[in-house]
Amino acid sequence: MAKLYRSIVERPLRSWIFTSGITHLQGALVVVILGVVFARVLPLEMQKRIINEAINLRKIDLLFLYCGFYLAAVVAANGFKFAMNALQAVISQRATARMREALYHHALTLPLTYYRNTQPGAVVNAVINELTLPGNYIGMAVAVPLSNVLTLVAFAAYLAWLNLWLAALSLSIYPLVLFLVPLLQRKVNQANKQRVDASRKLSSRISESIGGIHEIQANGAYTLENRKFDKIVRRLLKIRIRWSLYRFAIKVTNNFFVSLGPFLVFILGGWLTIKGRLELGALVAFLSAQEKLYDPWRELIEFYQVYQDGRVSYDRTMALFNVPPEHRLIADDRPPHQLERSIEVKDLSFITRDGIRLLDRINLTLKSGEHLALVGFSGSGKSTLALCLGQLYSYDEGRATIGGHEIAELTKQDLVANVGFVSQTPFIFQGTIEENLLYAYTAQHDGGPPPELDDMIAALQQAGIFIDVLRFGLNTIIAPGERPELVEAVIRVRNNFRQDYGTDLSEWVEFFDESQYLYHSSIEDNLIFGSAQNPDLCGEKLLTNPFFMQFLDEADLNRTLLALGAALTRQTVDLLGNLPPDELFFKQSPLEPAELDTYKAVAAELRQRNLHQLDPHTQRRLLSLALRFTPGLHKMVALDTLLERLILEGRVLFRERIEEQMPEAVTFYRLDQYSYGQTILNNILFGKTKTEQTQARERIYQSIIQLLIEEDFLEAAVAIGMQYDVGRGGDKLSGGQRQKLAIARAFLKRPRILIMDEATSALDNKSQGRIQNIIEKHYKGKSTLIAVVHRLDIIKNYDKVAVMKAGKIVEMGTYDELIAKEGQLYELEFGRP
Amino acid sequence: MSSNSEGLKTGASCEITDNIGILREVHFFAGLPLEVVKLFAYLCTRESFKAGDFLFRQGDDDGCAYFTLSGEVELRRRETDREVTLRRYPEGSFFGSLSLMGPMPRLFSLQAATDLGCLILTREKFAKISEQFPAIGPKIVASVVGRVLKWEKQVLKEMEGDLSSCQHCIGISLL
Repeated sequence: MAKLYRSIVERPLRSWIFTSGITHLQGALVVVILGVVFARVLPLEMQKRIINEAINLRKIDLLFLYCGFYLAAVVAANGFKFAMNALQAVISQRATARMREALYHHALTLPLTYYRNTQPGAVVNAVINELTLPGNYIGMAVAVPLSNVLTLVAFAAYLAWLNLWLAALSLSIYPLVLFLVPLLQRKVNQANKQRVDASRKLSSRISESIGGIHEIQANGAYTLENRKFDKIVRRLLKIRIRWSLYRFAIKVTNNFFVSLGPFLVFILGGWLTIKGRLELGALVAFLSAQEKLYDPWRELIEFYQVYQDGRVSYDRTMALFNVPPEHRLIADDRPPHQLERSIEVKDLSFITRDGIRLLDRINLTLKSGEHLALVGFSGSGKSTLALCLGQLYSYDEGRATIGGHEIAELTKQDLVANVGFVSQTPFIFQGTIEENLLYAYTAQHDGGPPPELDDMIAALQQAGIFIDVLRFGLNTIIAPGERPELVEAVIRVRNNFRQDYGTDLSEWVEFFDESQYLYHSSIEDNLIFGSAQNPDLCGEKLLTNPFFMQFLDEADLNRTLLALGAALTRQTVDLLGNLPPDELFFKQSPLEPAELDTYKAVAAELRQRNLHQLDPHTQRRLLSLALRFTPGLHKMVALDTLLERLILEGRVLFRERIEEQMPEAVTFYRLDQYSYGQTILNNILFGKTKTEQTQARERIYQSIIQLLIEEDFLEAAVAIGMQYDVGRGGDKLSGGQRQKLAIARAFLKRPRILIMDEATSALDNKSQGRIQNIIEKHYKGKSTLIAVVHRLDIIKNYDKVAVMKAGKIVEMGTYDELIAKEGQLYELEFGRP
Repeated sequence: MSSNSEGLKTGASCEITDNIGILREVHFFAGLPLEVVKLFAYLCTRESFKAGDFLFRQGDDDGCAYFTLSGEVELRRRETDREVTLRRYPEGSFFGSLSLMGPMPRLFSLQAATDLGCLILTREKFAKISEQFPAIGPKIVASVVGRVLKWEKQVLKEMEGDLSSCQHCIGISLL
């Protein structure tokens, strides 16, 4: 059993050969190998006996018997070989997976300072690529040397038994190879080390440029970036070629010397046979036995190469990560501390490698439940102090304690159990709102039950993101049959909404009304006036559907819509043709950014031809654009009154045709029916909002919330919203929403100590003020708070305000005291007195 | 309510054309090439407010510029213990060019005095267009500089003979 290593970087490569989950496989492998060797040697003896005993002596029964053995041995050899390869593959994959896990687990614990100089790409490359070669080695480590050395020894012994002199001569080649190969391998290793380093650089380069893709595109710095990248690629290319050449040189050298074997056997063996000192059968057996030396020998040499490559990659990779974590993750001998809420900092300093004191002898004391605001100019050390107290940075001098325990000595688990940390630019992970909300809570209650829905909602409310989550919920489209209880509630809310707010909000909502044109819905929606249930009437298929095309003709809409499509194409291409495919530019147009080039070509064609001369494909493109046209949103073309009337008439005709020919293909909008295909919100409104304006939207949502509360349906709607996918890195959320979610995440934990590092910087005044009120009302006296604050209008009610300058606390007291003093805080807030 | 709904209604004439006409009358956009004005006209949105609604409140950084199409607005400021109405603007007024150019927490509140229809452009849209047409930068700066100068001249004219009473407040054109 392998001994326990504190972390993967201390483990030598060979320790992975026998590690849990792998050892028993290696054992099984040894058994299989013995079978392989036996099954390899047996046919040789059979071959000799077939010639010498069966054929020479003309004994048919012996021929059958030996051939039977031969066949059995061949079948067994292949069966064993398959089992051996399978076991080897499992071992090497398992070893690689274990190494990846261990390395990743270790990488996550490395200090933040380490990642200032390490690109994510370097880590990705190490974990994904560089552990493959070492893994291959582990798979081969027992099987290949054992099987091949045994085979070699067995064959050598067999050869010696056949003819000692001949054997000695043909084996004399191998010591020479053993001398030459390591010489070449040294060169290979050198090249491989350089390859590992260059690959790491390459991965770092890629991750840096993709990370900064905004900057590259904004500055058009393609050439600059390409040049940097190409340089590394070309260097890697040279190294890889050199690496490959040396590897091949080893192969060629080996092959050359080994293929000298038969030459020696022919000379000496031929001479001996002619002289009658050797039987012909023995010579044949000798030749084929000698030939069988090649494979095991070649495999041994290859194994040697894999071992060397694996070792170099492994050592080089571990060297990159050979940084000790600054803090223990868990204490084995005790449960996590439940810390007392007081904080004491004495002569605390944080010194950079260049000797700059980012924190310079900081002293402060906070009693349990006290709230402290850290203010000062940027670069004064506020955030550094917060990070030190949150154990994210390690301080160099002085002491800092929470509840009497030195922070540097606490385990990560102690911290997690007691401290909530909201960073300046919180990271939101891909996944749902709920997963992100539970992120800190789950880490704190590892494996415990999830919190109550009420607690989650309370946290969302306190952080001020409740309405946003509700909005995500209301903007969800639910599938038919899903949540029947919801559908009924929505219909009730819809009726109440009409009664209570219908007139009041009609300014901002366009209600579905069968006799009215809907300016905030597309022409397609205006015609169908419902949700298509038949997939042939959905999306792109609509325009290839004969029923629909015939309807367009009958309703006299075909030509008119073509003309509208042409006008939209011309105007949109004229407006946006030279702009980059940015979502912002295209939001108010019927075009998707990716379609611009297609429609540019259509616009060019329109200059050449009349509408009726266009091919059906292009005509479909124009119709498709026309059907998306939403006059309330797309302002480049006005809706013609004649077309408006035709569409209203078309709506009636369409319904008639559907009811005659394909009933059930469409569910039409009806006040007493849920429309699948529309969002919950549109279902409640039985219409669409006309506005992007915040106040109007808020007013609509406030009215809906009232009604949802009456129906006892609010929580369910928020629960749906919590399933909203926030996108990669939370990019579907605004900066403010991301911060609010991070705050909710910390609130849900109800930490004894709360550290907020400019946690509300991206929020507007109102939200910031609201969160401040919550903190004062719910957390004062309960949680000790350290808040790094940039905007000074929220610090008036803090128990203490510490003003920092150049790494020092220059004054500390209540807001009123400090303002009365007309010192540094006064200067920060009002300028020089 | 129907009185001010034209902000959201779709008439027969194309809204972009109307917006171009409006923007070309506004000093801030007047000097820009037609191509750019057209894009601003396209990106503007029409919104309506009810009497008493705030377009923005003191302290907000709403990042928008507003042109009032119909209705009147009032400029207000909250002082420590009271709220003062400073001015009333008629239909056809433009606010917020500086707010388009960079973060600008409002020092005043703007409230709809009547039901209101207006044209709104956001900072984000303005920034994206400026990025695409860097040449408009100097024109915009010149327009703002011109406004500041005109403003201060006006103040000086009004204060003529009485400069000593407000000597701390003047000199913004020296920025």
